[in-house]
Amino acid sequence: MTLGDYEDMMDSCVRCSLCKFIPQLAIRSKRFSSICPSIDFYDFHAYSGGGRMIAANAYHKGRVELTPEMLDVLYRCTNCGGCEVSCKWVYDLEPNEAIHALRAAAVEAGAGPMPKHKKYIKLVERKKNPYGEEPQNRPAWLTKDIKLDESSDTLYFVGCTAAYRREEIAVATAKILNAAGEGFRIMGSDEQCCGSPVYRVGDEKRAIRIMEENIESFKRAGIKRIITSCSGCYNMFKIEYPRYVEHDIDVVHTSQLIEFLLKDGRLKLTKDVPMKVTYHDPCHLGRMAEPYEKWEGEKIEVLTLVYIYDPPKPERRGANGVYDAPRNVLKQIPGVELVEMDRIREYSYCCGAGGGCKSAYPDFAMATANERVEEAESTGADALVSACPFCGTNFRDSLKSRNSSMQYFDLTELVLRSIGGEQ
Amino acid sequence: MLEKNVYDALKRVVGARYISQDPAVMDTYAFQWCNEIESAQRGEEPQRFGVRPLAVLLPASTEEVQAIVRLCNKHNVGFKALTTGMGPWAGLSIPKSIQIDMRRMNRILEVDERNMYAVIEPYVTNAQLQSELLKYGIMHHAQGAGPQTSPLASHTSFVGPGFTSPYTGFSGRNVLGVEWILPTGDILRLGSFDHNGKWFTGDGPGFSLRGIMRGWLGAYGGLGVFTKAAIRLFSWPAPKDWKWETSGTIPNYEWKVPPYWRLYVLNFEEWSEYEAAMYELNDREVCMVATTSAPEGLAALFTNTKTEAIEAIFAGLLARTRNYIVVLVAAHTEREFEFRKKLVKLILEKYRGNDLIEEGVIAPRPMHYGETVRNMLGQHAFRFSNCFQSTHGGMDTIAMAVRLAQLNQPVKQKYIEKGVIGDDRGLGVWITSYESGHMAHMETPTVYDPTSTKSCLGYAAYQDECNQMDLDQALGMPFFIVGDEVHKFYAERTMNYPDWLRRIKTTFDPNGVSDPSHYVKGEKRQK
Repeated sequence: MTLGDYEDMMDSCVRCSLCKFIPQLAIRSKRFSSICPSIDFYDFHAYSGGGRMIAANAYHKGRVELTPEMLDVLYRCTNCGGCEVSCKWVYDLEPNEAIHALRAAAVEAGAGPMPKHKKYIKLVERKKNPYGEEPQNRPAWLTKDIKLDESSDTLYFVGCTAAYRREEIAVATAKILNAAGEGFRIMGSDEQCCGSPVYRVGDEKRAIRIMEENIESFKRAGIKRIITSCSGCYNMFKIEYPRYVEHDIDVVHTSQLIEFLLKDGRLKLTKDVPMKVTYHDPCHLGRMAEPYEKWEGEKIEVLTLVYIYDPPKPERRGANGVYDAPRNVLKQIPGVELVEMDRIREYSYCCGAGGGCKSAYPDFAMATANERVEEAESTGADALVSACPFCGTNFRDSLKSRNSSMQYFDLTELVLRSIGGEQ
Repeated sequence: MLEKNVYDALKRVVGARYISQDPAVMDTYAFQWCNEIESAQRGEEPQRFGVRPLAVLLPASTEEVQAIVRLCNKHNVGFKALTTGMGPWAGLSIPKSIQIDMRRMNRILEVDERNMYAVIEPYVTNAQLQSELLKYGIMHHAQGAGPQTSPLASHTSFVGPGFTSPYTGFSGRNVLGVEWILPTGDILRLGSFDHNGKWFTGDGPGFSLRGIMRGWLGAYGGLGVFTKAAIRLFSWPAPKDWKWETSGTIPNYEWKVPPYWRLYVLNFEEWSEYEAAMYELNDREVCMVATTSAPEGLAALFTNTKTEAIEAIFAGLLARTRNYIVVLVAAHTEREFEFRKKLVKLILEKYRGNDLIEEGVIAPRPMHYGETVRNMLGQHAFRFSNCFQSTHGGMDTIAMAVRLAQLNQPVKQKYIEKGVIGDDRGLGVWITSYESGHMAHMETPTVYDPTSTKSCLGYAAYQDECNQMDLDQALGMPFFIVGDEVHKFYAERTMNYPDWLRRIKTTFDPNGVSDPSHYVKGEKRQK
């Protein structure tokens, strides 16, 4: 979709500012009432979902150019989709889609993405990961006691962050799968980035090429199911890939699989993990994780100037993300007490790392993580838990910089403790 | 572009981070809902991009706002402050102007539970303030513009009707004190102070300047900048241990309804019965909410999506709905609750009405109670087409509101038949009573297509005809008069009141730098 496809939609923004806040009915305190990290940090209206849609509209109409400041406006956004949830409470608009279309247009025009993004995109092309690590070191996290099944049609797609930066998540995931007797294989040094960091900054051409290559290699390997421990990878394979590349591979996140394994009795949580925890919903596992369903139909005027879609067009409002699986798992861990933050589920506050912000705007990414950590601390929890290595990295950086006594765990780490797999 | 010396001087006030003159950043302030109507009226292509500011600033304190305003006077630069900014009245009319975005001034400075007032800064929103006040068992009046908008903006600068108006009045009535940066840059603090420096009344001691500050309509930001406001508070009718709790997932949230609350939709066959019932409901101080819309509007009020609303319409809601009042009875105690419910029942019987909720015509869910008191229902009207606007309406007696609604119907129907505005059979109104008295407010929310010149012009013509009807039929003063031309329109038959507004504007803004936009221009606007 190009900006032109969104022109009517962009013209329809009423600049109401709903996109700056969580859904209004959900506001319980002033302190935790905002949804958009970008407007919170940069303040000008241009830094809100609606503001970016207006800027995109102005660019599309030829009113403005891609100045350095406008590029900052465009890229100082974690692409978290919070604006869209709040907007859709009332309006039939998709600000996050317009933001992505403007990023794609900026790349097409040769102005985007930002230099830091270009740098890691080159690394993705050369090294298959945005960190510039050597491909042969990708499986270095594997420990001797982890059993792989090379004949399995289930792939544990480790992801760049878990493989190179948050190895404990990869280890925990593999050990949990082993404990449940769930056979899986890995791609090892052949695994390449899912394309998320490339796609999110608008470099669609390169991202689509990565998608095609990955799907091709999965097909060659006979993969029928992919397990991811990264919400970003999950989102790419499950939601974004099908928009560009056809595949019928089942994609599951570790939280969903663990929930299933517990229900099926193949995994037993026996060890006490005495801890009060609060759970952070990763954007890409939550509100952004609703599939795009292909829709073909027409607009019908049912009342004067009031249109409906025939057949009904599937709505993506953030309602059907993966919210319950991680919570259901946490609640089953003996000793764990789950307390909720004000901003949860579809109106969860972003960790601040996404959309290329962790690399290009680290001060913004850190401020956003700090905001979320403060919210987590306000619950009285001992630990902040999530289900995404990228969120985890940003939260760990925040906790460290704040000298916080709060700990951070990936869901899989707590599950591993409870099955006694840490020994 | 601003001259470099002017830009640099402004930058020194707020710091480099909080000033921008990038065209794209500026355009996000130039773009406003309803600009398309005004541009169509001027004979231009309808569009939402209006006057682009030359810079936007984000001050953090009264002192910074004052310094900005003084620089504007010194360098003959227009200025206008805005908060969340929804509508052309938030935007500019003078080409050489800047916008002052008040976003960084967003503190609740004081909540005086005992004396029932709160002191707030401009960017505190209704939902934020309400969420904090409920912890004390008190509430404020929130204007119908929505929970994300600024109560300070409404209390200082608009009339501000809202869904709880029978209980909380309107914004203009509830402002107790302000800190006001005059267009010249002087600071004026209005409202009384007791020996503790408390702000508890909008007037006195001595002369009241509240009429000059805002008068009936408010100045829409055309007379300086308000940096603080003390606003009146009201008791929240729920037990002390009740807490605001929303659960579930969008769009079907659950909300914890306080124990002594009940919604009704009281439906009356004839307007005369409706009118008598509305008077009596208010005379007996029965309800917290007493509001009316079209039958189509009822479908939108108590559903969560456009599809649901349309399904409700086609399921036969229209055939069973006539002139109705959405009533919320909200009591502090069970005894009070039973008493109020009895009164509603008696009034319903007396005027031969029926309750559409009891009859299953419409079924508000618990979350709709929450949306009602959070002032979210008005936004539901946007669901039909992403866009509507209201006529200038009227604020007078309940009888006048009914008369307005009746006279409006054939006028609206004419434009519906032209296919330029949405079809609500001409019945689309919003009526709410005020302060459980004889007063009421009426306006006609109307769906139009912002991307169609024909529709924008059609809506504008409809609005003009409604204005003319106000004069021809002596329908009282509109609650919403935006801009010089509309003020002029009403002047002759209203003792030329805009002359006085112009004198106020000229006296308080001798350099004409406070962008009048939708207020009035001074007698001699600077070159």
